[in-house]
Amino acid sequence: MSKLLEVRGISKYYVHKDGWLPGKRVCALEPTSFTLGRGETLSIMGETGSGKSTIAKIIAGAERPSQGEIFINGQSLNLMSDQQRCRHVRMIFQDSLRSLNPQTTVGKQLCEPLIFNTELTPRQQKERVHNTLRKVGLLPDHYDFYPHMLSSGQQQRVCIARAIVLEPQIIVADEAFAALDPSIRAQIINLMLDLQQDMGISFIFVSHSTEIVKHVSDKILIMHRGKMIEFGTTQALIQQSEEPLTRALLCSDYNYKVPLNSTTKE
Amino acid sequence: MSAILDIRNLSIELETDNGLVRVLDRFNLQLSEGEIHTLVGESGSGKSLLAKAILGFINPRWKITADRLWWRHYDLLSLSPAQRRLVTGRDMAMIFQDPGSHLDPNEKVGAQLQESIPSGALKGIYLKRRADRKTRAERLLHRVGIKDTDDVMERYPHELSEGLAQKISIAMAIAHNPKLLIADEPTTAMEPSTRAQIYRLLAKLSASQGMSILMVTQDLTAVVPESQRMSMIYCGQLMETGPTQQLMAEPYHPYTDAMLSMSLFNQDLPPKTRLPTLKGAIPTLQHMPIGCRLGPRCPYARRACIHQPPLEKRQQQQFACHYPLRDDPDHE
Repeated sequence: MSKLLEVRGISKYYVHKDGWLPGKRVCALEPTSFTLGRGETLSIMGETGSGKSTIAKIIAGAERPSQGEIFINGQSLNLMSDQQRCRHVRMIFQDSLRSLNPQTTVGKQLCEPLIFNTELTPRQQKERVHNTLRKVGLLPDHYDFYPHMLSSGQQQRVCIARAIVLEPQIIVADEAFAALDPSIRAQIINLMLDLQQDMGISFIFVSHSTEIVKHVSDKILIMHRGKMIEFGTTQALIQQSEEPLTRALLCSDYNYKVPLNSTTKE
Repeated sequence: MSAILDIRNLSIELETDNGLVRVLDRFNLQLSEGEIHTLVGESGSGKSLLAKAILGFINPRWKITADRLWWRHYDLLSLSPAQRRLVTGRDMAMIFQDPGSHLDPNEKVGAQLQESIPSGALKGIYLKRRADRKTRAERLLHRVGIKDTDDVMERYPHELSEGLAQKISIAMAIAHNPKLLIADEPTTAMEPSTRAQIYRLLAKLSASQGMSILMVTQDLTAVVPESQRMSMIYCGQLMETGPTQQLMAEPYHPYTDAMLSMSLFNQDLPPKTRLPTLKGAIPTLQHMPIGCRLGPRCPYARRACIHQPPLEKRQQQQFACHYPLRDDPDHE
C-alpha cells in the first residue's frame, strides 16, 4: 500500500515561563514517527495527558510541531500554505454542537471552507454542499436549518460533512464518538466506514473505547506520557503484544492492575 | 431476599407548554440489600430523573405518582418533606457524572470532606471533636484507596485528576455509611484504567459494607461483572430487567439485543463491517410515540406495538415486548 501520510520525528515542547527567569520546558510529545496508507484507519490510544490529542492536533495543523516534519504523498506539509494543507487534512471535534456556529445555517457553514479554499462559483458551491449533505445521510433541505434544530446524531453528521466537503485524504477525529449515545454512535461509525470505502479516506481516531478501536482500525498507536509505546496492526497488537499498558487498554481486563502514573497530576 | 427499595409503577410527568409529558412511564425496580443494580439507558430515557425521584430532589413542576415507592418500611411519597429529608439524608447518597465540577472550587478537598462527616457521629468535646473529624476523614480516604491523605486533603479540586476527584466524591458519599448509593454515570468520559479503578472500588464497598448501589449508565460497556441485576430503559419505559449475566447472554427484548450488538459486545463481527443499528433518532420529549416507545425504531415492530405491552416474566427475566426474541413457537 502506498504511503499517504508519513510522520517523521514530530515532537512538541511547551515552555512554562514564570517571571523573568528562563522557563521550564515541558515535553508533551517526544519525537514520534509513523506512516499511514491510503484508506487505512489509525487509532491513537492512551491515558489522559499521554499526548494523543497533541499528535492529532499537529497532524490537523491546529498546532505546530517543535521539531519534525509531516509528509503527505511525499510532500512536506511545512512547505504548504494553510489553504493547500486543509484540502488534505480535516478535523472533527468531540462536541458537535459546540463546534458549529449557532448563528449561521448549516448550508452557510458548509460553504465557508469552499469560499476560503476553492475557486468555485456560488452555484457550484451550493451544488457541492447538497451532494455532501446527501453523502452523510442528510437531505439538501437541511441546507437552511440552524444547528439547534438538528438532533445530536444529525449535528455530528454535519460536522462530518464539513470535514469531507473539501474532499480531503485524511480526517482526524478527536474523541468524535465519546459524547454520542450508543445507537447514534453505531450509525456514525457505519457512516464513516461507508465514506472510507467510497472516497478512500484515511482516518485518524483518538479514542479510548476499546471495542470501537478494535472494530474500525487497521493500525493502533499506543501513547504513554508523551512517548509512543507501540505501533502496529490491530491484529498483532491484540494477539501478541507484551506491553502491559497495551494489554490493559485493548483487553480492558478489570482485574488487571495498570501501572498507573496518571492518578495524580504533577 | 426482600427488597429494600421497592418501586412499582412510578411515573413522572413534566408540565410543558403542550401539557403534561410523561418522561418516566410506570417504572418498576426492586433492589435488595448489598446488590448492585445497573440501569442502562440512552440520553433522554429518564434515568437521571428516576435517581432524583428516589432521592427527592424534586422540582415542584414535576408530578410524581407511584403505586409503591418504598424505602425499607418508609413510604417515601407519604412522608412529609422534613421526614423524607431525614430518611434520605441518613440512608442514601449520590455521586455524579463530572466529579471535578461539583466539588467546591474555593475550598480545599480536606475541608469539604470533613464537612460531609455527620457531626452526630463525632466523639469528645470541642478540640477533640475536630481531631476526631480529621481522623475520620483520613480513614475515609484510606477506604477509597488513597494513601497519601495529607497531600490530597491540602489540594483544591482543580489540582486533582478526574479519577482522584471521583474517589473523593465517593468518600464524601460514604461518609455517613449510606445503605443506598446512587451513582449517576460515575465514569463517562474517563479513561478505561481509571474507570476500572472506580468500578472495582464501588464493587468492593458494596461487598464489604452491604451497601446497595444503583449504577446509572449510558453504555453497556460500563456494566461491571459484579452487578447482579440490570435494567434497560428507553424513553422512560422499562424494556427489560433481569440478572446481568443472563440478560447479556439471552436478551428477550429487541432493544437489549440491539444495544448489545451496537456496543460490540460478545460479537464476532469481522473488523470494518457495518454495525447493526437502530434506525432513526431518539425522539424528543414533545414527540413521544404512543404505545411502545421503541416502536418506530424497532426492526420487529408490528401493529400491536401501538399499545404498550405489559411486563412479562420468564424465569428471572422480565420484559415488555409483544414479540420477544427467541420465543418458543407454542407461545404466541
